[in-house]
Amino acid sequence: MRAVRRVSAVSLEAARLGLNVGQKATDALALVPDLVTAEAEPEADAAALTALADWCVRFSPAVAVDAPDGLFLDITGVDHLWNGEAALLADLRARLAANGLPFRCAIADTPGAAWALAHFAQDGAIAPPGGQGGLLAPLPPAALRLPPETWAQVERLGLRQVGQLMSIPRGPFARRFGRAAMTRLDQALGREREALTFRRPPNPWFARLAFAEPISAPEDMARVTTDVAAKLCARLETEGQGARRFEICFHRVDGKALPLEIGLALPGRDPARIAKLFAPKLETVDPGFGIEVVTLAGHAVEPISGRQARLDKAREATVEEGLAPLVDRLTNRLGEDRVWRAAPVESHVPELAQRRARPLAPPSEARAWDREVPRPTRLFRRPEPLEAVMAITPDDPPSQFRWRGQVHRVRRAEGPERIGEEWWKGAIEDVRTDHVRDYYRVEDEAGARFWLFRSGLYGDAQTPPKWWLHGLFG
Amino acid sequence: MSDFRALRAKIAAIEAGARAESESLPFGDGAIDACLPGGGLPLGRWHEIGGAGMEVETAAAPTAFTALLAAPLTRRGEVVWVLRRDDLCAAGLLGLGFPPERLIQVCARDEAEALSVMEDALATVGVAAVVGEVEACDLTAGRRLQLACEKRGATGFLIRRRPYGGSARREATGSAAATRWRVASAPSEPPAGEFGLGAPRFTVELERCRGGRTGAWLLEASQAFSGAHDLEMTDVAHPLRLVADLGDRQLAPAQPFRRVA
Repeated sequence: MRAVRRVSAVSLEAARLGLNVGQKATDALALVPDLVTAEAEPEADAAALTALADWCVRFSPAVAVDAPDGLFLDITGVDHLWNGEAALLADLRARLAANGLPFRCAIADTPGAAWALAHFAQDGAIAPPGGQGGLLAPLPPAALRLPPETWAQVERLGLRQVGQLMSIPRGPFARRFGRAAMTRLDQALGREREALTFRRPPNPWFARLAFAEPISAPEDMARVTTDVAAKLCARLETEGQGARRFEICFHRVDGKALPLEIGLALPGRDPARIAKLFAPKLETVDPGFGIEVVTLAGHAVEPISGRQARLDKAREATVEEGLAPLVDRLTNRLGEDRVWRAAPVESHVPELAQRRARPLAPPSEARAWDREVPRPTRLFRRPEPLEAVMAITPDDPPSQFRWRGQVHRVRRAEGPERIGEEWWKGAIEDVRTDHVRDYYRVEDEAGARFWLFRSGLYGDAQTPPKWWLHGLFG
Repeated sequence: MSDFRALRAKIAAIEAGARAESESLPFGDGAIDACLPGGGLPLGRWHEIGGAGMEVETAAAPTAFTALLAAPLTRRGEVVWVLRRDDLCAAGLLGLGFPPERLIQVCARDEAEALSVMEDALATVGVAAVVGEVEACDLTAGRRLQLACEKRGATGFLIRRRPYGGSARREATGSAAATRWRVASAPSEPPAGEFGLGAPRFTVELERCRGGRTGAWLLEASQAFSGAHDLEMTDVAHPLRLVADLGDRQLAPAQPFRRVA
């Protein structure tokens, strides 16, 4: 079968000339010989839609992408910032128009109803709370986002309006059109919830400042950072909460949104401290022609008690005033993966026996390391191969070995400590005898203490055992 | 003797200038403590610890020695360890008696960053000691570290280490460090009739000491890898035991020193 090139999108002018989506490209060119065509770029379209979703965060933190060409904005509890839904919609329309984007939009109680109104009703429709049924009734059945198999059935019965579908009793409706169609109708009318995948999880900890005049001076940006932080922190404080991560977003006049993020070691709500952590990163923000809106969202919000500093020991510092700010400074400067506290992991394999825990996290449940089992002070990430290893008998610790070009004569040795692989974690077929390690602690004539191991067993003809150095005791 | 001590205290006070009277952490052994001003490792200062040979890159013996020195300080606050190469094994430090739950590790990207993180940590409330792994520390950086130490009385340990090998850099001539140590592993002596390795031993050379004398000793971490009873150690005693005085730069005694069980 030959691939058929089809029209995937048409401009307003082309639509007036009678072209439509899904038409064969050759047919379209026959109808309009001087048609200008361009290759469809679904990936670029998706990227543009994602960028638009990010931009829409200025209206609501909860934006869901409805591929290929739609967006859902959850404006619950946000519209009052614009003094009502109508004003919000007008602002959205004005801004989209200013960016030269063709659009249709609608506001309704449910995502399904909003979708139907945006696609089939008059552009800019606002359904009154609970009143979407009346607005939906005159729309064609396609407005319900019905599955394709139901679609044919609806056509065959000659149903032309959603209202006709709504008047069918539920039992016969479900039998005739299937459960999926019933769900779609219920979702549109608000009888059933619809799960949207928001690009960002809806976050109630969100503050927003809009400016009459766009700002661009560095000192202004620092000031608005403090202001927006104070706004959010005041709310956090009244509810006894603190956030671990803060994300500030500068919305530029040209529609670009520039996010910055900081993290705290302990949940906090001190606006001065938050602004201070943002301060060194502000210079990376290019204000362009100016910034008109700044938003701040708090993530990982958890309750904090306003703990009182200890009275009895005035000298002893609390973690909040000393260590936590230090950890914050370091993690925000160096990166989260560069500041850690080693925490034990219950594993016999030495390189797996520790993990990086957050510096101020409560101690883990895992059993601590055994003090009496000698472990080196320096453990190599990758064991280093040893050369010219000599041992008296095959199962003895080496009496001499070469590491990094230097020969070490072993004076004392201790071992072996046999450590096998964690065979219960992988497939049983992958378990091999050459994964068994026999660790020895040896001391050379100068006193240097090494931790070396032999991987594999003697007598294995296919994979002869090899010697490795895994760490140094000092 | 007490006259000497009084005189020494007076000199120390003059040297310290406006600085407050600083504490010190005795080793618990007269031979070592007599070399150090104030009868112990001065706190609220910073100390330089280096190795020789391959230890310049691996820094295993200086690390073990530093962990032993800093172990008593962990009861006063946290210890921040600034690394360049992430190969510190917390389980090994625990074996030496250093509690890893008081240790915060920071991996710096370069030397300048390591020094500035050290400075930042030293000046923080709740940090008792900061260990930094740095290749060289010039006079300016050293003075800055000293000022940071004085802010809160935290103690700094600077391990001289070239973490990724390479050609040796010229040793810095001047230094603001209170003491400078050179540490190397020394052959251990297991108790009579036992196999294997004894407790780790170190040849420790006090190369430079402000307001004190130099010296060299053979020390043993006699409690290493030996159960939990020494976690009860007092604030003064270091988990280090003097085995032999190498003050006259002699080798270890030909007749191996046997540990009394």
